[in-house]
Amino acid sequence: MQSTSAPPSGVAPTEALPLLRMTGIYKRFQGVQALQDVELVVDSGEIHALVGGNGAGKSTLLNILSGLTKPDAGMVELEGTELSLEHPRHAQRLGITTIHQELSTIPDLTVIENILLGQDSALSQGSSLLVNRRAVAKSVEPLAREFGISRNELWTPVREFGALKKRAIEIVKALAVEPKILILDEPTSGLEDHEKSLLFDHMRSLQRRGVALIWVTHHLDEVSGLADVATVLRDGRSVIRTDVRKLKPRQLAGYMFGTEAAELIDTVMPETAGRANMMEEEQPRLKVEHLSRAGILRDISFELRAGEILGIAGLAGAGRTELVRALMGMDKVDTGRVEVAGKLTRIRHPRTAYKAGLAMVPEDRKQLGILSEFSVAKSVSVSKLSSVSRGGLLNERLERRLARKYIERLGVKTPSTREKIRNLSGGNQQKVIISRCLNTDPRILIFDEPTQGIDVHAKVEVHKLIRDLAVEGTSVLLIASEFTELISLSDRVIVLNRGSLVGEIDNIPQRVRDEGFDSVKSAIIDRSSRVEQ
Amino acid sequence: MSSRARVARVLGIDGVPILIAFVAVAVYFSLAVPSFFDADALRFYLNEEVPVFIITAGLAFVIIAGGIDLSVGAVLGLSAGTSLLASMNGFSTPLATLVGLGTGFAFGVINGFIIVKLRLNDFIVTLGSLNVAAGLLVVLTDHVQIVGTQDGSYLAIANTSVLGVTSAMLIAVATVAVLQLVLVKTILGRKVMATGLGQTPALIAGIDVGRVKYFAYILSGTLAGLGGVVLASRLNSVQPGLAGGYELAAIAAAVLGGVSLAGGRGGIWQAALGVLLLVTLKQGFRLMGVDPLVFSIITGLCILAGVILDRGVRRLALSLAAPAPAVTDNRELAPAMEAK
Repeated sequence: MQSTSAPPSGVAPTEALPLLRMTGIYKRFQGVQALQDVELVVDSGEIHALVGGNGAGKSTLLNILSGLTKPDAGMVELEGTELSLEHPRHAQRLGITTIHQELSTIPDLTVIENILLGQDSALSQGSSLLVNRRAVAKSVEPLAREFGISRNELWTPVREFGALKKRAIEIVKALAVEPKILILDEPTSGLEDHEKSLLFDHMRSLQRRGVALIWVTHHLDEVSGLADVATVLRDGRSVIRTDVRKLKPRQLAGYMFGTEAAELIDTVMPETAGRANMMEEEQPRLKVEHLSRAGILRDISFELRAGEILGIAGLAGAGRTELVRALMGMDKVDTGRVEVAGKLTRIRHPRTAYKAGLAMVPEDRKQLGILSEFSVAKSVSVSKLSSVSRGGLLNERLERRLARKYIERLGVKTPSTREKIRNLSGGNQQKVIISRCLNTDPRILIFDEPTQGIDVHAKVEVHKLIRDLAVEGTSVLLIASEFTELISLSDRVIVLNRGSLVGEIDNIPQRVRDEGFDSVKSAIIDRSSRVEQ
Repeated sequence: MSSRARVARVLGIDGVPILIAFVAVAVYFSLAVPSFFDADALRFYLNEEVPVFIITAGLAFVIIAGGIDLSVGAVLGLSAGTSLLASMNGFSTPLATLVGLGTGFAFGVINGFIIVKLRLNDFIVTLGSLNVAAGLLVVLTDHVQIVGTQDGSYLAIANTSVLGVTSAMLIAVATVAVLQLVLVKTILGRKVMATGLGQTPALIAGIDVGRVKYFAYILSGTLAGLGGVVLASRLNSVQPGLAGGYELAAIAAAVLGGVSLAGGRGGIWQAALGVLLLVTLKQGFRLMGVDPLVFSIITGLCILAGVILDRGVRRLALSLAAPAPAVTDNRELAPAMEAK
């Protein structure tokens, strides 16, 4: 990532009037001080990263700026005029537009209809009550083209586009009302790596238009090279406003989490030496042969060895999640043979998968992972209830003891074992889900996007945990869209492309040492995106 | 912990709001109607509601597992019919009881099979079996009231007096107690809670969601059968349309008791308290001389008010208690809590 086009901009608030100045912002929620004396100063035409871990107060600050929440105290000034933002529409009229993390386009409407949505007054020319879609389309067209949306695509339902296009559509929609400030909340979530770089191009061209971007993120690696200035929030306070180009990611991490975490971030490649012997074992831990499911998976065969971390690469829709779902017995397969530790195993249901020694940490933690109303203790025991019961009766004491064991082992931060899992932060929820899998003594552990939506600190801990498990002899199947994660963890990577296994890259750590990270990455991308007949 | 937080915490416990509502209503009526606490009358009316208690327990089990069973009332009526007819035709009491239980069991199996194996919508399926059961009762009774068995032991099932209460009431209490224990103390109960909270996440966690639901429907059907036997034994007569609408009373009671129709939340004893509350209202208004027609309006309004209040209390508990997120900014606040 390089910033060639970024115009220079001030670090300390410039002499001239800043575009936006928020000072002394306080906000208290239900007994929790979410924001405390927060300051945010943004100049026009700058890419301003607002970074902080989960719970740092980013969303709250953003909600205040977009008119969703009112601060308890503090001042918001736009071009020197003090504002009292009453309502999102109000903020938008003043030129502050937000693109939320969750995609907010309506799938069944066309692009142009989506662009029109909610901003008709701004777009309907003159006093006409009727919106002339064609006229609007014409006026939006050049803008849309700039973000890779052709004229024909304007009349296509949004449903047909991928995550990146949908983001682009939202940007065009936001720009149609000519905002002064555009807030992007975690815009890269749900995007593949190559899509991210396209999005970053979009963000640079936004900058060239003179729009100030407030970019809310916790991905430090993305910040450097793109953002000009960063404001770091920690525990509801603004820690520093700094020039990003002069900082290394680990320094930023230092501000975000304190120095200890900054050291963790630099963790290097896994030590495979200790596991080499294990992986030499004759018997593969998992042997998959000719696994097929009509239209989804095509004749997939691979092996997973003891103590090995096998990465599964591929673009969205390549069949990565579908493959592990099939292994877990969640979907029926048409043909295929699965051997676990040399034994032919028929897995028709997740329950049998767990019995055979498999366990899975699913993607999309909120929807598929947690049972939201369960306490931490119940969440840990749920996959192996026999571990906390005697004669069919649950034993609360055993259950709490089990939970405490894992809380300690994985460093879960929770007020007590009775706390509901939904009240924990993303990273801690994930650790509880991993605990629940570990409690089943898995020989094969599947991770599907294990660090999706969790902060850097927790991410580093999860990575370390995955490595430790492999060292202890657990075999790991890892799906990760982020290449850094995939490459730094995997011993070997298999690549899926439209349901077929199209390639395998072994000795990843060796290759990274010899050829470099980028070469391995492009080898994977090359196989993932190749179009074959 | 502040006293506010403490209040919130108590209110947040499942079943506390319904308990408070029940006590308040009971106190009100006992002050407004002097004869409210007449032991004989109380016993009479509670005895009358025994079948509703029994099916509410089973239905709450299904709802907590994330399903719904609309057929319980009609199946109860049909089971009363088959069981009483069996007894009238010379079946011994244990056999006649088994016929009633078996009728309910069969409907549970059919409901479970269609919903779990054929993956059809639970609401529609049990609405269908409701009509089948109600229709079968009409056929069975040939449109007339059937009376009654000569077998004294059959009549004794519900009408034996034990320690000042009837055996029917004991059966109801035992049913509620056993199901509550199963729900909170056994592996199966935990699986029911997990299934109700979310079928897919529960499946991913390794729970045999299908089996759990199947079991819940069979349990609910069999309990409807048990309710039918108790009802037939008490009345010694069965007519078409018997127990019609009981399922609505049971759903109302369960919801009043805090059993979430979305599944995964609530308990059996809370649902039973819901029945008690409804019975108390009914009895209180009856004693105050309220027209039975008006009475159903009042009951309906009470259910609405109860549900709205319950949600209000839940929110209040959430907003007073720390940690409280989930309402607004869950993801942002939770770690801030831990930092403290």
